[in-house]
Amino acid sequence: MYRQKYIFLLPGLLVLIAVILFPLIFTIRVSFSSWDVYNPGLNNAGGAMYARMWEDSRYWEALWRLSLLAVSTVLMQYVLGFGLALLVWREIAARRFFRVLFLVPMMTTPVVMSVIWRTIFHESLGPLNPILDALGIGAQPWLSQPGFAFAAVMIVEIWQWTPFMFLLLLAGLLSLPSEPFLAARVDGAGPIRTFLSVTFPMMGAISVGAILIRAIEASKIMETVYVLTSGGPGTSTETVSYYIYIRGMRDFQIGYSAALSLTYLIIMAVALTLIAKALVRLMVRGAQA
Amino acid sequence: MLRLQEIALAEAKVPHLAGITLDFRPVQMTTLLGRTGAGKTTLLRVIAGMAMPDKGRITLDGTDWSRLPPWKRPVAMVTQQSINYPHLSVLDNVAFPLTRAGVSREAARAQAEAMLVRVGLGAMTGRHPVALSGGQQQRVAIARALVKRAPVLLMDEPFVNLDYKLREGLREELAELLRKEAGTVAIYASTDPREALQMGDAIVLMAEGRALQSGRPRQVFAAPATLAVAAVVNDPPINLLPAEVSGGQLRLVSLGNEPIPGPDLPAGRYTLGLRAEDVRTGGDLPARVVLTEVSGSETVTHLEAGSQSLVMLERAVKTHNLGSRFGLHLDLSRALIFDAQGLRLTPEPAHG
Amino acid sequence: MRTLYLALKYLAVTLWSAFVIFPFLWMLSTSFKTQNAVTGGATWLPWVQYEPSLAGWKALFGGAGGVNIVKPYVNSLVVTGSASVIALVLGTLAAYGLSRFTFRAGPIRNGDITFFFISQRIMPPIVLAIPFFLMLRWLGLLDSLPGLILVYVAALMPIAVWVMVDFFNTIPRALDEMAWMDGCTPVTTFCRVILPNVLPGLVVAGMFCLIFGWNDFFFAFTLTFTQAQLLPVSIVALNSSVTPWWSLSAAAIVSVAPLAVLAFVVERFLSRGGLAGAVR
Repeated sequence: MYRQKYIFLLPGLLVLIAVILFPLIFTIRVSFSSWDVYNPGLNNAGGAMYARMWEDSRYWEALWRLSLLAVSTVLMQYVLGFGLALLVWREIAARRFFRVLFLVPMMTTPVVMSVIWRTIFHESLGPLNPILDALGIGAQPWLSQPGFAFAAVMIVEIWQWTPFMFLLLLAGLLSLPSEPFLAARVDGAGPIRTFLSVTFPMMGAISVGAILIRAIEASKIMETVYVLTSGGPGTSTETVSYYIYIRGMRDFQIGYSAALSLTYLIIMAVALTLIAKALVRLMVRGAQA
Repeated sequence: MLRLQEIALAEAKVPHLAGITLDFRPVQMTTLLGRTGAGKTTLLRVIAGMAMPDKGRITLDGTDWSRLPPWKRPVAMVTQQSINYPHLSVLDNVAFPLTRAGVSREAARAQAEAMLVRVGLGAMTGRHPVALSGGQQQRVAIARALVKRAPVLLMDEPFVNLDYKLREGLREELAELLRKEAGTVAIYASTDPREALQMGDAIVLMAEGRALQSGRPRQVFAAPATLAVAAVVNDPPINLLPAEVSGGQLRLVSLGNEPIPGPDLPAGRYTLGLRAEDVRTGGDLPARVVLTEVSGSETVTHLEAGSQSLVMLERAVKTHNLGSRFGLHLDLSRALIFDAQGLRLTPEPAHG
Repeated sequence: MRTLYLALKYLAVTLWSAFVIFPFLWMLSTSFKTQNAVTGGATWLPWVQYEPSLAGWKALFGGAGGVNIVKPYVNSLVVTGSASVIALVLGTLAAYGLSRFTFRAGPIRNGDITFFFISQRIMPPIVLAIPFFLMLRWLGLLDSLPGLILVYVAALMPIAVWVMVDFFNTIPRALDEMAWMDGCTPVTTFCRVILPNVLPGLVVAGMFCLIFGWNDFFFAFTLTFTQAQLLPVSIVALNSSVTPWWSLSAAAIVSVAPLAVLAFVVERFLSRGGLAGAVR
């Protein structure tokens, strides 16, 4: 009867299928070829690209590095974002001003801000080292030492995306009912006990949602790395996306990069699903028990 | 005339409507009476086109509706929960169906204004629905349903969420308004037998997705065709007494009575239906008070006589202490007799 | 005790504010510098520590050590604007269909289709970059605005669907049915009855589309060369070994300023509870 229902769904669905699904299927086919600069075009290479990937320690290191980077930055974004949301939730002067201010970084273009951060981290001309000097910490080799370069990427990611976590968590806090807080006050609970036994349990589902959204985005990190360190020094800050970019778009090893991409996609989808299930068990059901 | 033929609808193999055949005539209000879950709402949604039946035909004055989507059917509906368009003012809410039907904006607004005056909301036209009380919102919904002058008007327990006084007032207003709308088939779903008796020119009894009996309210009430109908139309519920007839003698099984001279029936098992008002005090059947409640100027008392529970209705305010005992008189001359299949036997009641 | 608690609270807010503002102040200051002021070491205060100059700002319109950002700016506006509008229209229509009607294709149900839309956010851009590159080359749309718009529509639509499905689910179906009975077809019901009641959702979804569209770099970077270059790409192009920090900073400011204003809009929605439906 409602034949008109297709008017709503089909345009969007067809565009998405055409633009995403077909290229994805094409990528699957390409990953079984050895398409590169010397042999352009589709041929049959069987699983050769996957076998090569298995031996490619640079890929697996990049995957491990990405996991470390994603997990640590998302956790820090969650802790900081939650803290900031609590700070400007209520009982603070000029809270609307601070809310706006804390949101601004997520509105800025990540690569553009990364270019600015690169000047900030500059060892001799940037403003960060003089400040650290004045504080008695001393100048640091920000972008030329592996550990520091990794920290620099983390700082930029935290600056850029803590606001998004802050936004989702503050929206959650503002939608909480007020009765449990009145009850806690009647019971004479202090701020810490109120947080642990009222606020945090009620924020369980919202927290899981916010962490997942950020984890999905973090699993794709590459732009910051590209601009800030170009994966360096050496390959010490290279993430999977960036490594695939080098293989595919720079070395033009289309077949190989297709195999790497698909493996990456599957690993990330599985990992994110597992993380989602674990988080739901830990923070939603655990908090209700 | 709105004609339903063999309408059947099942969902996940659970039948919601099981072969309904009914005629609804214009210039009268038909009440669909049945308990919650009897299929009244589903039937109204089928008529409106919101639910598609698995089988059956719907025609209005010979035009087949079965394949028409809701927006092509000339129906108006008022639901339990008053639904209005939140983004439109009260006036534009009521004018909306008219402008959709191609009436010019000015004309639509003028008609809407007139209709709002008739439902007593002439002073509220500029407000938005959220700024109104529940009763006022329901009146906006009624005005929007009436303003279209649709040949079929469906009302699904429109007053159930309102308080008693408002309900009485709106019922009168609605009856008054409908009297002026000639040629409308109006169908009113209700769970309340008294409302059905008061509102309807005709009544249709529904239970478990079937139309059990239809006719004039008084007639259905006086002569229910089956036990099920008798159970639905009576409030307080009708008393059901199992009985045995043999050799012209009748015995009430659950009361352990001595046989009394009974009607001229073949030997067998029967059920007597005795209305609560036909149970009176001042007899010799010993009974104990289980529950008593006064409603308006009437008193309803639930009693136990042995294993048989009985309901008594007195047209006066009485006080019966819980647990107190007294003798009851059952006016069996007014009892309805049903056979073992639950069909009422004619001719008229037993003379015991 | 209470005073200490408050003091710590304000200290924390101040510290984070400083961290947030720091890069903005730095780029504002740097945008008025010259070669000499930059190579002299980190300085903040114009007139006091260095002689301010408008060289960096003038370089935005071309010239030595700069890049003409007018064309990339217009490109970015066109691509982000039109892709956001198209994604919002397609995404809103699809979200309404999914929230109101039942779709079936074999074992596929509404929930699976919704998941297909939203799960596109999991897809790393690099996975699609090469097939996109080949697809656009085959279509002759490489390095063109229509090609970019097509890609951005697909990238932004999942966001619109994700936000709008939740908003539509908060509107009772009875409202649609009432409109049908008042003579509206599903399409007019959608336009005249449902859309006016989800305007906050449209604003939220539109904002997210604008933010993610304007700020994207990767697709613009891999699918354009010179003609259809977008703003972030032309700014990153300045990021070479001898970077003209002053024009870079000026370009960065004009690039991030328009969206930073959106923070005010988002905060308005946030404080009025208008984002409650978008969370979960």
